[in-house]
Amino acid sequence: MAIPRFLTLVAVVGLFTACEKSGSHAPNESQSAGAADQGKAGSLGPFVVTTKSGVEMVYVPGGEFMMGTDRGNPDEAPAHKVRLSAFLMDKFEVTHQMYAKAQLPNPSHWQDNPQKPVERVRWRDAKRYCNERSLMEGLKPCYNEKTVDWDCDYSANGYRLPTEAEWEYACRAGTEGPYDFGRPDKLRQYAWMAENSDQKTHPAGQKKPNGFGIYDLYGNVSEWCEDVYSPTYYKESPAVDPHGPPNPGKDVKRVIRGGSWKSSPDQCRATARQGERTGDTDACFSTDFCGFRCVRRITPEELEQLRKSK
Amino acid sequence: MRAKKLKWMALFGSPKSTGVSSIFSPKLRRWLVYLFLVPVVAWFSAAPTEAQTPLRELLQPLGFKIAFESYADGNSDILVMNGDGSNPVNLTQTPTEQEHYPQVSRDGTKVCFVSDVGEDRDTVRSVYVMDIDGSNRKKVADHAREPFWSPDGKVIGFLPQEFAKFDVIDFSTKGMSFYDLATGTITPHANSANLHHLYHPSWSANGKWIVATVHAGMGYDHTILLIEAHGNKIINLKIPGCRPCFSPDGKQVAWGADDHELAAAPINLEADQPAVGAWTVHIKDQQNKIYHVNWSPDSRFLAFSRGPDSGGDPTKPGTHLAAAEIHGVYAKGWNTCVVKADRAANLSLDQATEADFLVLTTNGFSNKEPAWFRPHR
Repeated sequence: MAIPRFLTLVAVVGLFTACEKSGSHAPNESQSAGAADQGKAGSLGPFVVTTKSGVEMVYVPGGEFMMGTDRGNPDEAPAHKVRLSAFLMDKFEVTHQMYAKAQLPNPSHWQDNPQKPVERVRWRDAKRYCNERSLMEGLKPCYNEKTVDWDCDYSANGYRLPTEAEWEYACRAGTEGPYDFGRPDKLRQYAWMAENSDQKTHPAGQKKPNGFGIYDLYGNVSEWCEDVYSPTYYKESPAVDPHGPPNPGKDVKRVIRGGSWKSSPDQCRATARQGERTGDTDACFSTDFCGFRCVRRITPEELEQLRKSK
Repeated sequence: MRAKKLKWMALFGSPKSTGVSSIFSPKLRRWLVYLFLVPVVAWFSAAPTEAQTPLRELLQPLGFKIAFESYADGNSDILVMNGDGSNPVNLTQTPTEQEHYPQVSRDGTKVCFVSDVGEDRDTVRSVYVMDIDGSNRKKVADHAREPFWSPDGKVIGFLPQEFAKFDVIDFSTKGMSFYDLATGTITPHANSANLHHLYHPSWSANGKWIVATVHAGMGYDHTILLIEAHGNKIINLKIPGCRPCFSPDGKQVAWGADDHELAAAPINLEADQPAVGAWTVHIKDQQNKIYHVNWSPDSRFLAFSRGPDSGGDPTKPGTHLAAAEIHGVYAKGWNTCVVKADRAANLSLDQATEADFLVLTTNGFSNKEPAWFRPHR
C-alpha cells in the first residue's frame, strides 16, 4: 500500500508544481483526485475532491493552530490556540458561472468573464447560494431561511460560509507567519491586490495556490465568513470550533477575510480581520470587493469513502 | 353759524367740490378707506392661499384615486383609496395569493399587478390584469414581473424573470415583453435579447420611450436607462438612483435619488437624444426610506412610500427577506404619502407642514407602490 500512496503523492505534488509554473488554472478544469499527504495540520493532508455539482473542494484536515497574532492590528490579538474539525473548502472563490448554475441573479460589477469571482454579494445572498448548492447535491441545507439571520445548523451536511477560524486555519496551511508562503515580497505571485490588479477582479485561479492548494485566499475578492465581527472576540473565543460572538441585534457587521483587488499587502495577511455591513437591507449593495467561498463539514465515514474512491 | 358750516365742510367737503370728493372731506374719506380696507385685508390674510391649503383639502375636489399594496392578516392585497387617503377598498381578497405592484391604465379602467403563489424559492410570480373594480381578472404571464402600461392602454409591458427559480430581488429579469390586451398575444421587445437586469419600467406619454433602472447588466453597473420602445436605441440618463417614473404630461421624470431622497426633473422626450434637465424637486427624509414615486394624473402631485429601514419579517407568510422597499418584502411601518410636485423643491419631510405633505395611510401595514389614477367617467 505504501508505494501506490507515495506515487499518488508525487502525482499531486507534481500537478501543483505544474500549476505554479503555468501561473494560470481555470476553476472548472478537472484536477487531481490525489490521495493523502502527511500535512503539518493533521494526520491526513489536504487533497482535492470534486462534488456532485462539479465543484472542486479541498479537504482540510482537522487540527490545532494559533489563531490571530500579537504583532498585528489590535483586533487580531491575542493569539490564541484553536482546535478545528476537518472540513471541505472550495478550491476557488465562487465564480459567476457557479452563481448562475444555482439560478441566482448575478450582482457583480465586473461581468466580462464567467470565471471571475462574484462580488457585490450580500451576506445573505452568499448564504442563499450555499443552500441552493446543497439542494442541487441532495444535501441538507445549513441555513434556516425562516429566521432573520438565516441561522446556521453546523450539524447539517450542506454548504455554508466558513467560520472565521476555519478561514484563517485554511489560509495559514499549517504555518505561523502572516503569509503561508513566507516572504512578503512574494505576495504578488499569490494575490490580486491594489498594486497588481489594475483595479479590477481577475478570473479565479490565476495566481499560485496556498500550501493547501486553495487559490485566491490572499486577494481578488475578500470573502464573507459566518461570524459576527467583534474586535474583542479573541479575548473570549472558545477553544474548539468557534462560531463567532452572538448577534448584538443592532449595527451588525459580519467578518470578511482575505485581501481583494483593492487591498494593500497588509490587508492581505492571513490574520487581518475586517467587519462589513451585510447589505441585506440594501437593494443596491455596491461593495464590489465582497465575494465568498463555501465550506462543508465532512464526517469520518464520508472521509473514508473519499479515501476509498481515490 | 359760520363755525357750524366750517365743521360741516371739514367733514363732507366744500359744496363746490365734485364727485366723491364733493361729498366727503379728505379726512372722512381716509377714515372710510380704512373702514373698508381693514376688514378686507384681514379677510384675505386669514383665507389660505393654495400654497397654505392643507394637501388633503386640495386633493379632495380633484377626485383622483390611488391603488397600492398592503399586507394584513397574513396576506398582501391590492387596495384602492381616494386621493386624500379616505375609503380604502380591497380589490383582491385572495388568501392564497400575494398581490402587489399595482399599475393603473391612464384611462383609469384597468389595473395590472403581480401575484405570488407558493413560498420561498418555489414562489411563482405572475402578471395579471383586471378591471379597476377587481372584476375580470386575467393572467398575462407566469414567471414575469414589474408590468407597465402603454400610454394608450392597449399594451402591458412586463419583464420576464431571469430564472425559473424565484428570487425576490427586483433586477432578476431578462428581456422585455409586450402583452396585447385585444389579442392576448405576447411579443418580445425588438431588443429583448440585449435587455438584462432591468427593473421598474415606465412608458412615456408619447409612446416613444421606456425608462427603467438597470443593475449589473447590459454593461452597466447601476444607472437609469432610456430604452426606445420599438427600437434598439438605449440612452444612459446618468442620474443616480432607481425606479424612474414619467409624468403623465410627458414633460418630467421622477425617481428615487437614493434611499432617503426623491427627485424630479424636466426631460424633453421629443428630442433625438433626450436628457434630464436641472432637478426641480428634492424631497428628503433623514429618518425613513422613501421610495416608489408616482405622478398624479395632472402631474402636480407625487405619491410615494415611506418607512423605516428593515429587511422583512420571516414570520409573515408569502413574503421574503430583502430590503423593505422591494415588493414581496414585508415593510413594517411603511405608509403611502403625497407631496406637491410643483413647490416641493428641497422639502424635508421631517419639517414639512400639512400644506406640503400628507400621509395617506396610517396603519403601517406595508403600504407600498402607490399608483394614481383618474376614475373613468
